[in-house]
Amino acid sequence: FSAISQSTMPAYKLYYFSIRGLGEVPRQILALADVKFENVGITKEQWPEFKSKTPFGQMPVLEVDGKQIPQSFAIARYVASQHGLAGKTPFEAAWVDALADQYKDFNNDFKKFFYLVLGFGEGDLEAAKLEHGIPARDKFFPLVVKQLKSNGTGFLVGDSVTWVDVLYAEGSSRVAHEVPGFLDDYPEVLEHAKKIHAIPQIKKWIEARPV
Amino acid sequence: MPAYKFYYFPIRGLGEAPRQIFALAGVEFENIGISDEKWETFQKTETPFGQMPLLEVDGKQIPQSFAICRYIASQHGLAGKTPFEAAWVDALADQYKDFNNDFKKFFYVQLGFEDGDKEEYKKEHGIPARDKFFPLIVKQIKDNGSGLLVGSSATWVDILIAEAVSRIAENVPGFFESYPEIIAHQQKVHSIPQIKKWIEAR
Repeated sequence: FSAISQSTMPAYKLYYFSIRGLGEVPRQILALADVKFENVGITKEQWPEFKSKTPFGQMPVLEVDGKQIPQSFAIARYVASQHGLAGKTPFEAAWVDALADQYKDFNNDFKKFFYLVLGFGEGDLEAAKLEHGIPARDKFFPLVVKQLKSNGTGFLVGDSVTWVDVLYAEGSSRVAHEVPGFLDDYPEVLEHAKKIHAIPQIKKWIEARPV
Repeated sequence: MPAYKFYYFPIRGLGEAPRQIFALAGVEFENIGISDEKWETFQKTETPFGQMPLLEVDGKQIPQSFAICRYIASQHGLAGKTPFEAAWVDALADQYKDFNNDFKKFFYVQLGFEDGDKEEYKKEHGIPARDKFFPLIVKQIKDNGSGLLVGSSATWVDILIAEAVSRIAENVPGFFESYPEIIAHQQKVHSIPQIKKWIEAR
């Protein structure tokens, strides 16, 4: 693995809609890694044509010197692992991955409620909260609290920030913002988000971000 | 060499791809099947997330099937030869996971795990999910040019997808008729000697 000097740093472009969504975590990781990148917002009008230029017809897409990588977790892990943000050992990296996938599983359930909160799709909000929101929350967040406590550093894995900290902090802060009080029984989770969002590069990104 | 123990139900399910990765890597491991009766206790006392599969490496646990796959694979040259290739292996695996989240709405009914009209679920979930995902895989196989998904040698995502395809084909006859390249990929992966040997002996 050779050291990369500033002059041979690849040109990064991140393509996503001009919303946070699945683009925010890759953007924050690029910011955290102090990596210059072009943050390209694709409009609804541009999307149908751009879609055919993406590998899987979806975004986000990361372009590295013109070569594309799809899928938000693959992008996050690719950038993170080149900048010491994916765990310090293979075992730590596996735990970063496991926590990320556990979050994804949680979100697959939780979004049945959360998309309604955000105004996407139709349905009874209160019923969805009871049937999907609360059970998904109470199955997942105790595991997160357990992990934070047993790891003992304030981060999810190891003794420094990894991409899964960024993922969780974005997820939990977004939920807490959109559904006031929803994570009140999980103060450790809210504390974790505050800690991650106070990291200078992330704080700076959040303050300056267009959305 | 660390001591590996792999815990799952004694079925293929989410356990088969990790097991095959061990086999391809030529790594010895204890393949532990947890019965339904043992599961309740095991789940509460032994698992980080209350789920399996679980990998134990010298007594330390790793949950989540993709994390397990990537961990073993990356230590044995089965996760792409460059960071870019590794990212593509990951992207294809996650794209498969997205497909499966839709597809299982039909597949669980087809397998009898859930109630429903098989034909209706096939039309509404099975076929659309298939026709959204597998053209991407066919394109990837063609663009990559080696018969495998990424690079010139087998990676863990080849194993993941070949297992899924064989499992679906066994349970939904003719489902991949319009996807000969998918069947060819599955056969190519399953004729790799270490994998062929594992399948014959399982």
